[in-house]
Amino acid sequence: MTSSRGALAPASPPPAIDRSLADRLAAIVGDKRVLFRPSELLTYASDALPSYHKQPGLAVFPGTRDEVVAVVRELARSNVPFVPRGAGTGLSGGALADGAVLVGLNRLTRVIAVDPENLTATVEPGVVNAALSRAVAPHGLHYAPDPSSQAACTIGGNVAENAGGPHCLKYGVTTNHILAITALLPNGEIVSLGSASGETDGYDMVGCFVGSEGCFGIALDITVRLTRNPEAVRTILADFLSLDAAARAVTSIVATGIIPAALEMIDQATIRAVEASIYAAGYPTDAAAALLIEVDGADAGLERDVATIESICNSSGARTVRVARDEAERARLWQGRKKAFGAMGRISSHLVVQDAVVPRTKLPEVLDKVRRIGEDLRLRVANVFHAGDGNLHPNIAYDANDPDESARVQTAMHAIMRACVDAGGTITGEHGIGIDKLQYMDLIFSPDSLAAMCSLRDVFDPDRRSNPGKVVPMHSCREWHGARSARQDAAKGPPVA
Amino acid sequence: MTTAVSLSAEAIADRVRDAQTRGARLRIAGAGTWLDAGRPVGSSEELSLAAHTGITEYTPGDLTLTARAGTTLREIRDAVSPHGQWLALDPFGSDEGTLGATIATASAGPLATRFGTPRDLALGLEFVSGRGATVRGGGRVVKNVAGFDLTRLLTGSWGTLGVITEATVRLHARPEADVTLAVSPSDDRIDVGGVRAALKRWPFVPLACEVVNDSLGRELGLGGEAVVFRLGGNSESVAEQRRAIAELAGGPAREVDPSVWRSLRAADDDATLVLRVSRAPAEVSAAWADATALTAPFASARVSASPARGIVRCATQAVGASIEQYASTLAGLRSRIVAERAPVHLWNAPPLARAADPLQSRIRDAFDPQRILNPGILGERAVS
Ligand SMILES: Cc1cc2nc3c(=O)[nH]c(=O)nc-3n(C[C@H](O)[C@H](O)[C@@H](O)COP(=O)(O)OP(=O)(O)OC[C@H]3O[C@@H](n4cnc5c(N)ncnc54)[C@H](O)[C@@H]3O)c2cc1C
Ligand SMILES: Cc1cc2nc3c(=O)[nH]c(=O)nc-3n(C[C@H](O)[C@H](O)[C@H](O)COP(=O)(O)OP(=O)(O)OC[C@H]3O[C@@H](n4cnc5c(N)ncnc54)[C@H](O)[C@@H]3O)c2cc1C
Repeated sequence: MTSSRGALAPASPPPAIDRSLADRLAAIVGDKRVLFRPSELLTYASDALPSYHKQPGLAVFPGTRDEVVAVVRELARSNVPFVPRGAGTGLSGGALADGAVLVGLNRLTRVIAVDPENLTATVEPGVVNAALSRAVAPHGLHYAPDPSSQAACTIGGNVAENAGGPHCLKYGVTTNHILAITALLPNGEIVSLGSASGETDGYDMVGCFVGSEGCFGIALDITVRLTRNPEAVRTILADFLSLDAAARAVTSIVATGIIPAALEMIDQATIRAVEASIYAAGYPTDAAAALLIEVDGADAGLERDVATIESICNSSGARTVRVARDEAERARLWQGRKKAFGAMGRISSHLVVQDAVVPRTKLPEVLDKVRRIGEDLRLRVANVFHAGDGNLHPNIAYDANDPDESARVQTAMHAIMRACVDAGGTITGEHGIGIDKLQYMDLIFSPDSLAAMCSLRDVFDPDRRSNPGKVVPMHSCREWHGARSARQDAAKGPPVA
Repeated sequence: MTTAVSLSAEAIADRVRDAQTRGARLRIAGAGTWLDAGRPVGSSEELSLAAHTGITEYTPGDLTLTARAGTTLREIRDAVSPHGQWLALDPFGSDEGTLGATIATASAGPLATRFGTPRDLALGLEFVSGRGATVRGGGRVVKNVAGFDLTRLLTGSWGTLGVITEATVRLHARPEADVTLAVSPSDDRIDVGGVRAALKRWPFVPLACEVVNDSLGRELGLGGEAVVFRLGGNSESVAEQRRAIAELAGGPAREVDPSVWRSLRAADDDATLVLRVSRAPAEVSAAWADATALTAPFASARVSASPARGIVRCATQAVGASIEQYASTLAGLRSRIVAERAPVHLWNAPPLARAADPLQSRIRDAFDPQRILNPGILGERAVS
């Protein structure tokens, strides 16, 4: 049994997404939950990355798990490709459905179970990240991964992107907090991955699914690890007259053995944007950079850590170091950081955010390169990022209607990416590949490595119907498929229906 | 035929491709300290990575390290400790084991309480798949979501998807204070559930916390049943942790030599059967009871629990008729059982015998369709 398949996209053009498919889906979810008019679909033609617009052929919004299963089985029967979508806050174009069916999961918002004894919760994929923490707050618990978009993004989207966030420096990224997933494969099969107790025999299927960006199927329900709220928290703001000094402070802090809960850097351009917005946090606008540092845990010994960090900041050249006096001040300092992209976006009509990682010790060098790239291309590059992880987020506010400026922005993004890869880094720390970063995959992976990723995808989605065209560039899968005819085709799972 | 590969990842890939052509099966080996673990391997040849050694990249400020798979944990320890750092992996066995094997088997010891298991510490890998392709997954930096997560897929795959040739791991700075304390139960029964409840209540997480049964406790020089804590942090934090433990123990806990951890890891050297009995952490008492029931017929059985993780390990020298006893007790337990090492025929007894998971078989098909690498070790179906 050898099927002739193309690359990431289905070999044959997808069957027309016509009124009859809309009717069949409407029979499952109700008329109001199927959108097919171009005007209605416009909302879903992009995610939080403004550079791409791809109109879905149709959008469907199931309200229950059974409806999701029925929808996906109908799409399997009709051989129609689809794209799962959570809140659409993705920054790599991952949730765009170019002519395919967009399956919106944002109505599945049930927290199915909370087990405070075992520190776990099981949730539907559309549960909003911050809502989960609110739901478990009465038990003194929270869900640790906290992307800056946490007020909107969903746990399903977090799982698909292996999302990070400021507190991931100490607590780890999404994959460190997922115990089990019930996944709906594109052929309609339901599989359980991992176990709620954490121990499994065999391959790490949860580790494999997390970060698969919707290409392996839909996470139907997700069992997460919960984290106890720390006994004490201290939030420190240190400001510097050079980016370099701030970057050196980062390395020195981490080297002490103290693992801050968060260690974020905000440069002058970002500080000014934030301070000019409704999210003004009291950051000093004349500083070259500020570090927002948080330590948490047991009360005992915490003051010592704060003192150590203060002294490192001072000896690295900090101008002022201050510790938030109360919860209100702490919240304000964080609000500025979390809303920084929003504040930047207000400056111009569009904002692009790059997401790359460099070894921590290379931060000063790479930040300097980023600055020069901006100067050379007459762009104002602002930086606000997870410095403790070396996870850079250079961002540029620009006018997308200005073709010259748009072109320069693209050139800058490429140059920044190259600089990060040359420094031994990688092309994405938390936002994923989607379609935006397909162009960079060859910079870090050999054809054999990309082919191995394609073959893994084939295990879950041999027909390439779930989020086609994402994560792995097409040409590498073509190579794989060229060799494919020679081998037996054992990868295809049992068809459903 | 045994060849210690010292050349390159390319030489290893050549070996795999050569085996593919000849229809040979390869048993992968690192230092070879734990080759009897896992289900029986049906291989004709050994592919040793013992000579594929060396740290290829280490910048202390980055707290990451890249080494060839045959590098031992000891070599890594010796290279990073002058910089006040460590690789927080202390699998059972010893530091003579290799990095590649530790990741391939996802081996974890007491430090997993604080630092997690190899899946939490491995950042990137290079491996040679069963197709003979040299593949890289992950990266060399602490955060990376480029492409599908081949690093986690390979971690714990026991060499069945690829021969790990190089790995990048996350290091940690050594804590200012690192103290080991032992608490013996005042009455004769140790309360594993109580320890777990205390751990959950405390605002700090110890570096390690293991409960050991009477025979293991004696062997470790602790006199009998005991809870052993390893505390880390700054001195003030550790002082407070001591206070909390004293409260739990109803009196100050005694400080013991940290070599107890090395002894604990080495204790099962002669065991023929090592099982991990687990439940949800809140039910660790039940897992402990199951482990106790399992080992009851064997006087010198060693049992230890990681209460925070809900995992109890038990090790015995099961031979002959005693195995039948095991098999019948095992079949009746409600806990999840993972065997780390077992006599050949016990693998076929429930609950160790297991049906192949179709999705996992498909993954094996994708990476090693001819079942060249460590065939049979995970109980996967063979292909002819
Ligand atoms: C006596 C003893 C008891 C142990 N008990 C436990 C235990 O109970 N639980 C636990 O988690 N760990 C245990 N270990 C684990 C062990 O410490 C680690 O897995 C590791 O350190 C062994 O290293 P090695 O190089 O000697 O491995 P080896 O004995 O050479 O190999 C171990 C396994 O890993 C595979 N392997 C080796 N290298 C590679 C590679 N590069 N790529 C792919 N596969 C590879 C081998 O095929 C083999 O199946 C024990 C070790 C010893 C010595
Ligand atoms: C202002 C701002 C700040 C941000 N800060 C951070 C940050 O700090 N850290 C960070 O990591 N990210 C950050 N992001 C990016 C984004 O919020 C995350 O990637 C988030 O995980 C996306 O979730 P979502 O629900 O919006 O997913 P979507 O954008 O809807 O989808 C993202 C991807 O997930 C897939 N997907 C969605 N749901 C499912 C499901 N149930 N099953 C399978 N696949 C699914 C989609 O197909 C798509 O590929 C930020 C974004 C913005 C706009």
